[in-house]
Amino acid sequence: MTVISDTRLDSPADLEDFREQLLSKRDASALSVHVCTGPGCAAKGANKIYELFCEAAQETETDVNVQAKAVGCHGLCECGPIVLIQPGDIFYQRVEEPDVPEIFRETVLAGRVVERLLYPDPVTGKKVRTADEIPFYQVQQRIALAHNGLIDPTKIEDYIASGGYAALAKALSRMAPEEIITEVQKAGLRGRGGGGFATARKWRSCREASGSPKYVICNGDEGDPGAFMDRAIMEGNPHAVIEGMIIGAYAIGSSQGYIYVRNEYPLSVERLKLAIEQARELGLLGQNILGSSHSFDIRINRGGGAFVCGESTALMASLEGRPGEPRAKYIHTVESGLQGKPTNLNNVETWTNVPAIVNKGGEWFAAIGTEKSKGTKVFSLVGKVVNTGLVEVPMGITLRQIVDEIGGGIRDGKRFKAVQTGGPSGGCIPADFLDARVDFDELTKLGSMMGSGGMIVMDEDTCMVNVAKYFTEFLQKESCGKCTPCREGLAQMLHILERITKGEGRAGDVERLEALGELLAGTALCALGKTAANPVLSTIQYFRDEYEEHILERHCPAKECRGLFLYEIDPEACKGCGICLKNCPADAITGERKEPHVIDQEKCTRCGTCWDKCPFTAVMKV
Amino acid sequence: MARENQLIEQIVKRYDEDVGMLIPMMQDLQAERGYLPADHLCDLSRRLNLPLSRIYAVATFYASFRLVPKGQHDVTLCLGTVCYLKGAGQICDAIREEFRVEPGSTTRDRLFTFQTVNCVGACAVAPVMLVDGEYYESVTVDSALEVLHGLALDNTEAKKED
Amino acid sequence: MPTVTIDGQKVKVEKGATILDAAKKAGIWIPTLCYHPAVSSDASCRLCMVELDRGDWRQLVTACNYPVRRDIVVYVSSDAAKQARRGVMQLLLARAPDSPELQALARRMGVTETPWPTVTESQRNCILCGLCVRVCEEVIGKAAIGFAGRGVERAVAAPFRQASEDCIGCGACAAVCPVGTIKIRIHEDEQEIEISPFKSRGKLLLCERCGTPLVSTAVGEQVLDKLEAGRKEIQELLRLCPKCRKARAGEKLQAAKVFREVAVSSTKTQ
Repeated sequence: MTVISDTRLDSPADLEDFREQLLSKRDASALSVHVCTGPGCAAKGANKIYELFCEAAQETETDVNVQAKAVGCHGLCECGPIVLIQPGDIFYQRVEEPDVPEIFRETVLAGRVVERLLYPDPVTGKKVRTADEIPFYQVQQRIALAHNGLIDPTKIEDYIASGGYAALAKALSRMAPEEIITEVQKAGLRGRGGGGFATARKWRSCREASGSPKYVICNGDEGDPGAFMDRAIMEGNPHAVIEGMIIGAYAIGSSQGYIYVRNEYPLSVERLKLAIEQARELGLLGQNILGSSHSFDIRINRGGGAFVCGESTALMASLEGRPGEPRAKYIHTVESGLQGKPTNLNNVETWTNVPAIVNKGGEWFAAIGTEKSKGTKVFSLVGKVVNTGLVEVPMGITLRQIVDEIGGGIRDGKRFKAVQTGGPSGGCIPADFLDARVDFDELTKLGSMMGSGGMIVMDEDTCMVNVAKYFTEFLQKESCGKCTPCREGLAQMLHILERITKGEGRAGDVERLEALGELLAGTALCALGKTAANPVLSTIQYFRDEYEEHILERHCPAKECRGLFLYEIDPEACKGCGICLKNCPADAITGERKEPHVIDQEKCTRCGTCWDKCPFTAVMKV
Repeated sequence: MARENQLIEQIVKRYDEDVGMLIPMMQDLQAERGYLPADHLCDLSRRLNLPLSRIYAVATFYASFRLVPKGQHDVTLCLGTVCYLKGAGQICDAIREEFRVEPGSTTRDRLFTFQTVNCVGACAVAPVMLVDGEYYESVTVDSALEVLHGLALDNTEAKKED
Repeated sequence: MPTVTIDGQKVKVEKGATILDAAKKAGIWIPTLCYHPAVSSDASCRLCMVELDRGDWRQLVTACNYPVRRDIVVYVSSDAAKQARRGVMQLLLARAPDSPELQALARRMGVTETPWPTVTESQRNCILCGLCVRVCEEVIGKAAIGFAGRGVERAVAAPFRQASEDCIGCGACAAVCPVGTIKIRIHEDEQEIEISPFKSRGKLLLCERCGTPLVSTAVGEQVLDKLEAGRKEIQELLRLCPKCRKARAGEKLQAAKVFREVAVSSTKTQ
């Protein structure tokens, strides 16, 4: 992890020379094994697999030069751990420790493919060799995730050899700050953290604001449950974030930056810290970067464990050593933000797009996406789909394409019910609208929002009232508690939802929820409170019948809410083995051996033990 | 003048006495002590010239901060309907008496933090007890106490090996 | 100076003044709870909602802290603004059901009851307006109390829920509390002042003549400290209650009168 000692890049030419040096040192014929150690694969033991490959590479007796690399998230987390072999771009999935010697022997040394580790096409079943042949990847266009999976994020040389920091050199030596802002404006880049605000406009306002010093902040407080896009970027390619920030700071006129990373992402903090140290060593951070008059450095702060700190004013309060309570935004943070100074805050993914825009131009970026939503967006596709993971696609792709083509449809042969987008600020979109184009504005029209990119797919077994209750509970726990409507309103909404899911719903409950939702949207102090009712309101909009069934019939149609559905034994499937009878804590089951058993609904406590234990799936939920 | 707190001094200097770095300072303190001791927070307040009420506000706002020490182990007993029907109530009482610990708090020797929850969703194997995330199924008063006594023994064994 | 057209009335205000300032100038009443002219405005109670004209739509904003920087049009009595304010008050009444002050304010707004049950706990009707916290920090400079916890667990408390060492027993928090949560209790037999519910107790300075409690010794000392040692007369006066001060002044006048009469009579005799 050490940089070539004593190297300092004092000019764009130095950077070019350094890049040439690195490329010339590379052995084109070298074999390399890229092991994905992103969040999903790491959870499945990828780090150990990487170690095993390193050992194999060291101990090999052949003359061949083999290099093992730990790389960032590829995206197809469902199929992890993922291993890529060069040359050949061979894509192996679900690799386990015992597979390592075989892969090394067969593919790395002998160029032969290990069939059983290849990805099977979901339709034909045929095995494919490379990632390009996998539909999951074919539909994608990777800009923010461009280097993820190709470089070792702990080595700045990898990033530079792949073209990293060239945009910075171009910006500092050949572009004036206003030119950079104009380029970002042409690109039409909008904030990727959920707000969707025009980035160039923010930068320009901050540049023109009076007051100094000016600050730039990277919001790494990704808190939406189900979202891990920013984590994959911070851990898989931290330098892209840093490069974006240096360029932005130059455009705005700032020399001090902060990256705020949520407390639950210690590895992101580590990777960013290392990247910053390496950048400093080379002179890419600090005084007179690449010989220009621009000086800039970055400090990393960790969050303390508060979802609300993803809100920009709360984040800034946290950076001031205060509780993360939002404040009014009647005066924008670009005028008065951190310490009352002009501050520009952008999300991780937003910053990551900047180097590409500078390199390839705003027009190139604006040619991708829709009229008002340019470029690509990284989504985390999770839930009941076959392929879960991270995807980066041009804006304007439809929900159906994401769920079916990329996601591979619903798993276990179930039916699609809804896709929840935008995290706790978003809503649930039903099947009728699967052809909606995904961008900043279309999903908002449907009562949801694109948000930071989380997409949770739900199937027929999901109770939408329970989903609303889950998000409301989450928001209540995370509310800062400062303003009346969010603190009291969410508590009232949760109280109603709890009654409904316990079978204690009353006529008028839906109207009460709607009234509270409207009050929150109009009177809450910050975006958390203002959008807090979206999960409830959107499920009422599209699944009102489910609410009514809970309230009027005390029945949960998805059979998820305990006590609101019955268990019955199917007499045709029941073999009379007696396991359910023995285990029932309420002695509610009767039956002779080898005869169909029966549940006495009066005694049944609806605990579900029989359903769990039955080896013949003869117990049904009705 | 109050005698100097070496640890607080070290931490404050590490961040150049920058009040904006209060949260990282408190994170370092917690990393060192396992929680945020009240007297250290008072020293921090004096050292940074910040009102104690501000320090307390920060300590109680963020979920990662603890003002009381946590036990070495996390013990969770399910008191959901089925577990209760199968005797979890008696198990709870037994744990309370044997280890003199109430649900929601930690044993005096900080061996474990005891919590009760309302259903972990493993009703088929009720009663259920979790220790450090590991499931113990169909526990009885005797088996539950045995597991918990075993935690203390693990510690003694570990100490012997040192 | 920008013009605020508020419910049809035009008033001019200084740039940076708030909509609430404009309303006061125009004689239009907007209900407030967490606003007080002596401290900064947080707009956390959300009671003073009004509608701001944005051209093709109207935005609900809080009057107490919205800064007027150009000509704007504001609606206080529109249906949407009234509905918003009433909705907030109904939530507050649910949280704090036993505060006569809150109920009086509600009545003035036309709200007589709330459809919501009490689902959150408040310590003695505290609505978390934060006026006590801000007055202690910004005006008194002691910051003896602050907020603790988050969300529905948020509460106003002294550090570690124990009597604060920084509290000087001035009672400013009790003076600004709009719902009667904070109370000053005088314990005659122990000669102590207590600020409830913060458990702060302090010794009271008593009138040297009649023994009536004056202020907490801490406050007394602060004031006395600020005076030069030499102003003995003032120091003595400060240790008396208003009644005794008057009596003392009367006695002094009397003594001066006698002295004058004696002096006059002595000059006469000469």
